[in-house]
Amino acid sequence: MEVPLTALKKGESGIITSIRAAPGRGRCWGWGFQKRLVDMGLTPGTKVKMIRSAPFNGPIEVLVRGYRLILGRGMAERILVEVQR
Amino acid sequence: MTRKRLRIALAGNANVGKSVIFNQLTGLHQHIGNWPGKTVEKAEGTLHFKGYTIDVIDLPGIYSLSTFSLEELITREYIAIENPDLVINVVDASVLERNLFFTLQLIELEAPLIIALNQMDMAEKKGIKIDYKKLEKILGVPVVPTVAIKGRGIYDLLNKAIEVIEKRAAKPVTIKYGEEIEERIHQLISALKDIQLKYPARWVAIKLLEEDEQVEKEIRELNPEILKLAEKLAEEIEKIHGHPCPTVITSERYEAAGRIAREVQQILPSIKPSLSERIHNLTTHRVTGYLIMILVVLGIFQVIFSFGDYTSGLLSDLLYGYEPIFEQILGQGPLKEIVWGGIMEGIIANITIALPYIIPFYLILYMLEDSGYLARIAFLMDSLMHKIGLHGKAFIPIMLGYGCNVPACLGCRIMETERERFLAGFVVTLIPCAARTVVILGLVGAFLGIEWALALYIINLAIVFLLGRIAFKVLPGEPTALIMEMPDYRIPHLKTIIKQTWFRLKEFLEISFPLIIVSSVIIKLVEIQGLLKPLSQVLSPITVGWLGLPEITGVTLIFGILRKELTLIMLAALLGTTNFDSVLTPLQMFVFTLVVMLYVPCIATIAACTREFGWKKALAITVTEITFAILAGGLAYRLLAILNILEH
Repeated sequence: MEVPLTALKKGESGIITSIRAAPGRGRCWGWGFQKRLVDMGLTPGTKVKMIRSAPFNGPIEVLVRGYRLILGRGMAERILVEVQR
Repeated sequence: MTRKRLRIALAGNANVGKSVIFNQLTGLHQHIGNWPGKTVEKAEGTLHFKGYTIDVIDLPGIYSLSTFSLEELITREYIAIENPDLVINVVDASVLERNLFFTLQLIELEAPLIIALNQMDMAEKKGIKIDYKKLEKILGVPVVPTVAIKGRGIYDLLNKAIEVIEKRAAKPVTIKYGEEIEERIHQLISALKDIQLKYPARWVAIKLLEEDEQVEKEIRELNPEILKLAEKLAEEIEKIHGHPCPTVITSERYEAAGRIAREVQQILPSIKPSLSERIHNLTTHRVTGYLIMILVVLGIFQVIFSFGDYTSGLLSDLLYGYEPIFEQILGQGPLKEIVWGGIMEGIIANITIALPYIIPFYLILYMLEDSGYLARIAFLMDSLMHKIGLHGKAFIPIMLGYGCNVPACLGCRIMETERERFLAGFVVTLIPCAARTVVILGLVGAFLGIEWALALYIINLAIVFLLGRIAFKVLPGEPTALIMEMPDYRIPHLKTIIKQTWFRLKEFLEISFPLIIVSSVIIKLVEIQGLLKPLSQVLSPITVGWLGLPEITGVTLIFGILRKELTLIMLAALLGTTNFDSVLTPLQMFVFTLVVMLYVPCIATIAACTREFGWKKALAITVTEITFAILAGGLAYRLLAILNILEH
C-alpha cells in the first residue's frame, strides 16, 4: 500500500516509491528541495523507518541509510512509501 | 630559504568533526571572514610542516555538490577553479554510507584527495568496524583513521597529505553508472570535446544529466546545442527508469556508496540503547523534550544575561573611572568632549556590549551546535517557527533577541540558506532587546501601567509575525523546509569552541569598533556645534507633525541609535525631569516607546548585521525598520487619538 511517509506509525518502515512535486506548480517549485531530499539519501527504493514525529504537526524523525534525519512535515508528506509489515 | 607554499582544503558533511580537525591543524593562526561577496563564512589558517607553509581552508559542511545552497556552490567552485594542492575529505566513520556519497562526488570532480576517516571512536561505540585498508583499495584514495577530538591520527594525516602532494600518488577510481547512463555520459563527453571547460568533462557531462542549473547556464553560453542534447538524453533515461534523471543518477551514486560501505564495514547490532540514545529519546519526547528545552533555554538566557549584566556593569564602572584622568589631561573644553565623549564612550559602548554578551553567547551557541542539542530544539520548535516562515533552528536567535540583538544577529548563521539567514536576521532585529525593555517598562510600564507595556509586547509579536510573513513572501527563493541531520549526541571539543569564539569575536570587533566610534564622534560633534536644536527642528515635521511628539524627542531618537536605553536617559536630561508624566501626555509616551521599540536596534546590531549579511542588506534592514517605525508610530498616534483611549 502506498502512503505518504508521514502516515507511518512509530517503528514502522517503508520503501520509498516516489517523491511528488508540489501539485500544479510544475517542476520548478520545490525542485531544489526535492533534489536535497534525494541528496540526503531518500532515493526511490530506499528503506525508511519512522522514529517519531514532533507534536503540533511538527517535523518527523526517520532513520535512513544508518542515520537519523529530520524532515519538515510538508516535505515529508510528498514522499510516498510502500509500507513494510 | 623561501618555504614552499601549499594549499589544503577540508571538505565534508556537517557534524563530522571538520572544524575540530581544522583547529587541530592550524592552532592560533586563523583568519575568519566571509567568502568574497557571499554571506558564507570562510575559515583559513596556516601551519608549518616539513619545510612547507600550508594554508588550510575549512570549506562549509555540506552533503552534496549540487547547487542547492550557496555553500555547495562555493565548495565545488573552490575545488575546481582554485585548484588546491590537496582536498582532505573528512568522513564520519559512524555514518559511512552518506559520507561516501559525498566522497564519490569529490572523486568525480577529480580533486586530489585523501580521506580522514574521523570519529572512529563513535563508530566503535555504535558497533561499527571499518577495514580502512580495504576502503583505500576500493576508492584508490589514501585513508587515514582519526579521532580528531583526541588529536589521534592528525600527525599521520599531515604526513600522508604531504606524501600524496609530493608524489602525486593518489589514483582514484572512476565511479561507473549503469550502462544506459554511461553510454549517454560518453555521448555528452564527446560533444563537449572542443569546449574549454573549467571543470572535468566527465563531471560536466554528469551534471548536465543531473540538470544542474549552474552548469547548464555555463554551457548554454558556450554551445546551446549541447544543452539540447543533454535534455534529450536525460529524457531517455527518465523513460527507462520512470524517475527524473537527476534522481536516477543520485540513486545510483548512493547505491555505489552503499555497496562500498557494506563491503568495508561490519556492524554488530547493539542490544541495549546507548546513553546518547537514551538522552536523545528524552530530549525529543513530546513532554520531557519540551520541559528540558524550556529549562535549557531559560538557563542559557540566565547565564548570558546575568553574566552579561554583571560584567557589563563592572567594565563600564571601571572604564568610566578613567574620565577624570582624561579631564586632567585635556581639560574641560571641546577636545575632551570629542576624545572622551566621542571616541572613548564609543569604545566603552563597544566593550561593554560586545565582550560580556557575545563571549558567553558564542561559547554556548557552539556548545549547543557541537553537542547536537540544537538539532533537537529545531525538531521541537519547527511547527511554531513555520508560522513566521522560518523553521525550527530560527528559535535560538529569536529567543536571544529578547536579551540582545547583537548575538541574535550573529546567531542567524545557523540557518542553512542565505534567504533563511536574512529572513531570520530581519525578524530578530524587531525583537525588543533588554535595552528596549528598559524603555518599555521605564516609560510606558511605569507611567501608563503594566497592561500597556504588555500591549506593546503583543503588538510587537503581531508585527514580527506580520513583517516576517511579508518578508517571507517578498524575498525571492524557495520556501523554507526543515531537512536536517539529527546527529548523535557527543561531548563538544572545548578547545575548538574557545578558538571559534575568539576568532569570531575578533572579526566582529573589527567591524563594530570603527562603526561605533565614528558614529559616536559624529553625534558628539553635532552636539558640540550646537546643532542638536536645529536638527530637532529639521526633524520636527516627522516628530511633531506626524508622530505628535515634542520637538526635542528628535534628538533622543537619533542618540538611541548608539544604545536604545539612551533615548530614555536623554529624554530625562533634555526635559529636565524623570517625571515624564509632567511633560509628556500618555499618548505621547506610548507613541514614543512604540517608535523606539521598532526602529533599528542600535549601531552594534547594524555592525552585527553587516558582518553576517553584508552592508547592503544591513542598510536595507535599517532603512526598512526606521521607515516602518515612523509609519507605525504615526498611525498609532492617530488611531489612539480617534479612539480616545489614551489621554492626549
